[in-house]
Formats: sequence, structure tokens, C-alpha cells
Amino acid sequence: MVNVTLKVNGETRSASAPPETTLLRLLRDNFNLTGAKLGCDVGDCGACTVIVDGKPVNSCLMLVGQVDGREVLTIEGLATADHLHPLQKLFEDYGSLQCGFCGPGIIMSAKALLDENSAPTTQEIRDALGGNLCRCTGYAKMIEAIQVAASNLRGEPAMKSA
Amino acid sequence: MAQNTKVADKPDVLEQPEILRPPTIAPLVTFPLEVVVPEGRQQTPAVGQRATRADGRLHGLGQTKYIDDMYFPNMLFAKIKRAGVASARIKSIDTKEAEAMPGVMAVITGRDIPCNSFGPSLKDQPVLADTRVFHAGDGVAAVAAVTEQIATEALDKIKVEYEMLTPVLDPLESLKLETPGVHAPSANVYGHKVIKKGDVEKAFAESDHIFEGTFRTQMVEHVPLEPHATIAQWDANGRVTLYSTLGRITLGRADISRTLGIPMSRIRVVATVVGGNFGGKNEITTEPALALLSKKTGRPVKCTFTRVEEFIASTTRHPLVMDYKTGVTKQGKILGRKIRLVLDGGAYCSWSETTLGKACILSAGPYNIENLYVEAFVVYTNKTMTGAMRGFGAPQVCYAYESHMDDIATALNIDPLEIRLLNVFEEGSLSPTSQKLHSVVVKESLLQAAKRFGWNTNGNESAKTNGGRS
Amino acid sequence: MKRRGRGMACMWYPIGFTVAANPSSAVVKMNEDGTATLLTGTVETGQGSLTILAQITAQELGIATDDVHVVSADTDATPMDTGAIASRTTYVTGNAARLAAEKCKKILFDVAAPMLGVKPSQLEAKDHKIIVKGFPQRNVHIGDVANHARLVTGEPPIGSASFNPETVALDPETGQGKPFGTYVYATQIAEVDVDDETGEVEVLRVVASHDCGTAINPMLVEGQVEGGISMGVGFALEEEILFDANGRQINPNLTNYIMPTSLDMPEVEVDIVDSYDPTGPFGAKGVGEPTLVPTAAAILNAIHNAVGVRIHSLPATAEKVYAAIKAKREQQPRQIGTGVPPAGGQPVAQ
Repeated sequence: MVNVTLKVNGETRSASAPPETTLLRLLRDNFNLTGAKLGCDVGDCGACTVIVDGKPVNSCLMLVGQVDGREVLTIEGLATADHLHPLQKLFEDYGSLQCGFCGPGIIMSAKALLDENSAPTTQEIRDALGGNLCRCTGYAKMIEAIQVAASNLRGEPAMKSA
Repeated sequence: MAQNTKVADKPDVLEQPEILRPPTIAPLVTFPLEVVVPEGRQQTPAVGQRATRADGRLHGLGQTKYIDDMYFPNMLFAKIKRAGVASARIKSIDTKEAEAMPGVMAVITGRDIPCNSFGPSLKDQPVLADTRVFHAGDGVAAVAAVTEQIATEALDKIKVEYEMLTPVLDPLESLKLETPGVHAPSANVYGHKVIKKGDVEKAFAESDHIFEGTFRTQMVEHVPLEPHATIAQWDANGRVTLYSTLGRITLGRADISRTLGIPMSRIRVVATVVGGNFGGKNEITTEPALALLSKKTGRPVKCTFTRVEEFIASTTRHPLVMDYKTGVTKQGKILGRKIRLVLDGGAYCSWSETTLGKACILSAGPYNIENLYVEAFVVYTNKTMTGAMRGFGAPQVCYAYESHMDDIATALNIDPLEIRLLNVFEEGSLSPTSQKLHSVVVKESLLQAAKRFGWNTNGNESAKTNGGRS
Repeated sequence: MKRRGRGMACMWYPIGFTVAANPSSAVVKMNEDGTATLLTGTVETGQGSLTILAQITAQELGIATDDVHVVSADTDATPMDTGAIASRTTYVTGNAARLAAEKCKKILFDVAAPMLGVKPSQLEAKDHKIIVKGFPQRNVHIGDVANHARLVTGEPPIGSASFNPETVALDPETGQGKPFGTYVYATQIAEVDVDDETGEVEVLRVVASHDCGTAINPMLVEGQVEGGISMGVGFALEEEILFDANGRQINPNLTNYIMPTSLDMPEVEVDIVDSYDPTGPFGAKGVGEPTLVPTAAAILNAIHNAVGVRIHSLPATAEKVYAAIKAKREQQPRQIGTGVPPAGGQPVAQ
């Protein structure tokens, strides 16, 4: 068994798990944070995307031992008691999610992008989402919502409605 | 039950606590409790509003509970052993070694299924293959264990002895009478439909030009992001509840009732929000097997497909071979059309009858054709079963009839838009089955799309060499 | 060198099952405050059907979308539904929901009529009120009516209904008959760039004009069109399940089964064609599957327009397109007078 201590959504957590346990399973099974999804378990689809030390990763490809001492941000850590994260609000307004299964992974990839680049071009948004598969939406309304979220986070006045 | 005599021999799984699932801790989540209702949802009249979805907010928060997000106390995890061979007779299945593994609570095979056949039309599909394997994704055994990992490892311990048979893989070969039968001793055609209207040979004789073309499409997968998932659990009254990704719960319940031999009032099927269906989750897969595993162990049992199983063990889109022959006047008016469709119907019928019928009816395109002959076949092959997938044959035939139309337009030097406007349905036109059509707007859609695209204003773009996006 | 091309495809697609009965049932019950619950056996698979059904129910009752809570997908608690298949939910389940809401509304009108001193046939439901037609100032809040119905009249407002499209079986020899209740129509036009040295196709832009009858929710229609086109791009250019000689799949994974990512998507322009189907709920038809149908055809026609080759099988991978371009080039007669020697080094006759 491997013992790890890490920060998850700002709180320190510990767990003991077999060494082959992935970060995805740790989050879902040990911490009951089921937002990150299992779509393929081999790093192809991005449904398990979370942010580790500021970088978006496929949590199905990270082993439990690799997250010891790190900071992990999941979809459950975006909203606060007062309000939704702008990405969550705008995805709702623009109808960016349909079945929703890819949603947490897409939103975390978008968050990681906006944390690094506050004014991404459409191509940069497409690149950031390139590792997240979506079968329902065709990505169009996601890209639109991310553009508006970027603008909101830059403090610009509210743009056109959905 | 044989299981009882083995309990004394098998090491107690509690001696290896690390293989059990760790205790659940309360999740770390915060979300705003104040409800802000978006304007689109508050407006009247409701029809026409760009109303946001109620589940949209939950999706964005990661709060939507899909089946794999559901956990029940004492729950077991099931995995299915896949045949891995396309056509074979099963000589024997030995599950003893798997059953003896610590942490494995039950193993079942096709023999344990009370009525081992189901299907939306032809009931040719087994829950678990019993005597014959018809495609490499056929399930031959199901294991329930305390963790998913143990269940997966147990699959390797199940020994299956096969007598290999030669698989039939090409649909055109399968069409021939002399090809060995996939299911029946011979004749792999299991569906045949004809549409006959007017006199197509006479129309050809009167045409200025005849055009022919053959088009083929490939097998594709739905790839819903969420793999198939099911949880089965019983109560003491002999009622089974199945949480399942099924898109058709009434049909699912009927199939579960039939395969398990229990009345419908003892079955509850609940589908939560499904993570994408596209036609691939419209019939049962593991539900009856899971119900039996749950009954045998007395515990809830969950099974999720791996992504590999999504490809090999769930339905796919029918590949088609489409032969078109069209007779036109020199102005491009269609006088007659003759079509032959051969659908690769995979290992089991599934939704092939529906697909055959739709493909047949739609194959002539949205065009006024008084003289029409369409003949369509669906054949068995030893490949992944083909079933319902978004369009039921329409995307395939549209590719054929619209490619064919452009070939005709190019040969006659007529603009692709003009040739379509000349031939398409109008309000009150008769379909290939002589149905009088209402609310017909295909012309409007052509003109609107052309205008929006700038079809006429740009002229013919062929051989333009400016590359890259504008 | 990149060559630009454009191609169009039009299509028709039916709503509902081919001839066979595919009914949906629905139950609408109103709470004492004028909000309501819809019970439906349909399954939300991501397309947004529950929102559409809420809108249809709300429209019939004259209340807002958010006032309708939808309970679905439970064989114990919800009425029978044939399922989310064949693009039938808006049309068939939508009709059932509307009819159920109408029956619920009838109870409300029967209760409200004496409150307003008129006959039930003189009433309509609009803006959360039951109103005398032509005299909007004569009204009573729908919640008051619902409350009165339960507490005074003793008839809780509830309605249950079924719907099944009318069809006529197809003749087994000629296939003639009426297989479907209604059809939808669409055209998609694609603009592509084809690299004539590699065969790679880039889909730049797709204009999609789709008929869905009345668009109950235009935002959700756009979502279906955009999603359908992404599937269509994959079908046209990338996706294929491959088998080996023994009948085993070679690429049963998302590494080697190529499907569209955000980088493969063209710019999509969605156009909803104005249309009204009197047999559908408030004129609506459906849109789930049709959005995928013409995409591959439009893209393949655009490839033909760009480089003059007809690809006869899908997917039109770069290898296939390049092989076709090469074959076409080899068939073309040599140009005289260019001074360019053909392979083999012989000078061309002047």
C-alpha cells in the first residue's frame, strides 16, 4: 500500500491505496469526488482531466504515488458557496453541454488555459481542448462560452447574451 | 450451491483488507445554494425560448450522477469475458479456477440464463453465448467480485475450449447462397425489402442519359463518452431494480422479464441521465446477467463496459454497399432510378430490420421519381453486431444519392443547386412509397443554405489555389 | 498545393418508427401553486429532450419552462414510452405531453369558469393566468384555480394521454404505404481545402439549413446541428472500425479509432428553416438524427469540386484521396509545348 497526503480543492487529505491506483480512482473511490469521469482509462478521451500543480492532466494516467504532496483541483473545487465559476455559469447559459459526461474534463482544460492565457484566440482554445473528446456538441458552444468567460475574467463589460 | 463448499477452502478476503474498497469520506464540494433562474426559463410563452437546460448547471458542477457515479453498500463489480474469436462452437467452459479466487463471489455462463435469447425483432442474440460464438465480442461468462480489478483478473482464469469455424466477413460474399451460413445452415440473408413504383426499365429506355455508381460505407461506432453501465439489486420480495444506461426502458424491462422468466411487475428499470446514446444503448446488454449475479450473491452488482467493449461488444453502424442507376433527360430531370442496397448485418439482427426499411425508403433521395425500383438485403457476417445508429441507414444512402447527383450534374454541366431544385419534393409530392408529403421545405432549405453560403455569388470554386483559412 | 472546393447535399428523414406502433404516454399534474410536474418514460440521453418537453407542457398550461419539473425514465413511476430513438421524442412524446397538459387544463377551465362567470370554452391559459378570451382583465391566477380545484371542487388537476403516429403498413411486394407521420428536410453546404500532394482534407465551413418544424428551443436545435456535423465529419473523413482476417477488430480504442476533436471541427453556421407541421406539438417535428445525415455527402461533393475526384467509399482518408488524385493525374493526356520532360527524361515534342 502507498500512503499519500495531498491537497484536494484546497483541503489536505490523506489516503492509503495500492500502488497501481490511479489519481482518477483515488478521487472517485477514496474521496467520492465523482466529477472526473472514466471514459477510457488509458488517456485517450480526457474525461478524467483535473489540474495538478496548475497543469491539466489525464488523472487516469497518474499513479497515486505521483500525487503525494501535490495540489489537485477538480471540478468540485471551482464553484464557491456564493457563486458558480464563470466557466460553469457561461456553459449553462450557452447550452455548451449536452449529455455532460465530457463536461468536467473540458471545463478543467479550459480553466487551465485561462489561468495561463487570459486572452486566448479561437485556435488556442481549440488546441487546449484538443485532448478532450466530446461526441454530443461539436465543441462550438463550448468555444463560444470560453471566449466570453475569458472576457469576463479580464473584467470586460458583459458581452452579448447566448 | 457449489459456492458454499468452497468457502472453507478459499482464503478469507478479509485477511487481505487492502484489496477491499477503502471507506468513503465525505466529498469536498461547495456550490451556491441560492437559486438564480435564467431568464429564458422564466419567460412565457415557453415555446421558442432559448431556455437553458435544468441539467446544464448540474453538469457544469460535476454533480450529475451517472450510473458509474452511483455506489451502494456492499456492492460488487462485474466484468464479462469476451470470446475473442469470430466464429466457433463452444466445447466447454471451466470456471472453477476463477470461482476459487479470493474476492470472486460468483461466476455465471450462458447456461445459467433461463431464456437465453432476445432482440428487438429477431430474437437471435444470447445474453451470454452458450453453444456458439458469432462474433469476437460475444460474452461467454460473467464474474462478480469485490473489486473491478479482481473481476478483470478472474476473466483470464476462465478456460473456454473452442472448435474454430471459418468466419464470414464480407457482406457481398455472405449474400451468395453457396456461402456457409452464419446462424442457419445456409442463406445469410435475414431481411429483404422492395420498393416498386412505375416502370423503371421503360423510364431508362426513354432517358437521354443513364448514369451508374457504386458507393460503400464503413462500420463506425457511436463512441458515447459514457460507457454502458448497469447496477442490479434485489429486494426480499423478489423484485429486481436495474439502474441502466438504456435508452428504451420499457423494451428493456420486457427483455429482462423474458430472459429471466419473471413477471414485469417484479422488475424496475431506472435510467438516470445517460452520457450519450446515439442508438447504441437501445437494447439490453449485461442486465440479465447482472441480475443473476446479484441474485446469486445477495449483493448489488455494478458492471461498466471498458472502452474496448464499447467497440467490440456493443452495436455499430451498418456498412452498406449501394448500387445506383439513374436515367435523366438532358435537362437533368430524373425519369427513373434503380437501387440495390446490401447491408452488412453483423452477427445479430438487433435493429437491422428498421435500418433496412429506412435505408430502402430513403435511398431514392428527396426527389420526385415516378419510376423507381429499390431492392435491399441485410446479411449476417461474423463481425460486431450492427444496430441502431443515428440515422438508421440515412447517412449512408445520402452519401450515395448526393454523390451520384453531383456526378450527374458534372457530366451534364448543370449547377448542383439547379439540378436539385429541378427534382426535389414539393408540398404534396408523393414519396417513394406514394405517401403524400406535407410541410415539405427541402427547396427552402436548399435556397436558404445556398444564400447563406454565397453559392451563386462566388461562382464555381473548383481549382482555386488560395489555401488556408480566410 | 491546397485546392478549395464546395459541395452541397440535401436530404429528407422521417420521424418515428417505420410503420410499427411507437407510442408515448405522459402524465401532467399541477401543484396547488400553479407549477406542474410532467411524468414521462423517455430517457434523457443528452439531447435536451426533458427541457423541450417542459417547454411544450408549459406552453399548453400558459406557465413558464421553469415551472414544470420533469420526472423521467423509471418503469415504476413514469408512463410507457417507446424511447429516445428515431428522432421521435419531440414529436411523439411531445404530442403526448401536450395532450396530457390539455386534459389537465380542462379541469382547470371547468373550475375557473364559474369563478369568472363564463363557460369553459371561453377561457385560455396564458402568462400564469386563466383568462377570458378577448378580455384579459377578467382573469384569475392559475395557482388560485389549482388550489381551488383541490380544496374546494375536490378535483386535483391531472391529465394523462398517449400519442402514436398514424401509419399504413407497406405492401410487401411494392413497398407502398404510409410508413411515417412526418418527415424533416435539410441542406448542408461544405467548404473544404484539399491538399493535392497529401490528400488531406480540411473542412473549413459548413452551412446547415435544417427544418425541424417549429423550433421549440432554437439553442438546443443548434446544439444538435453542431453535434451532428461533428459526427458527420468523422463519418466522412476519419472513422472506421477495421477487422483482421480472423474477424477481430484491429482498432477497438480511441487511440486508433479516429474521431473528431475540437481541432477537426469546421465553422458551423446554423439556419433553421421556417416551417410548421400541424400534426406536431405546436408545429414541431424533430431534429436529433437529421443533423448528421447530409454532412458526409456535402464534404465528399466538396472534395470532388476541389480536386475533381469522386471517392466511392467512406471514409475519405488522406491516403484514399491522394491515391485518387494520383490516378487521375496519370490518366490525363500529357501537355504538349510546356518543355517539361515526362518521367523517363524524354523531351516532349514541340
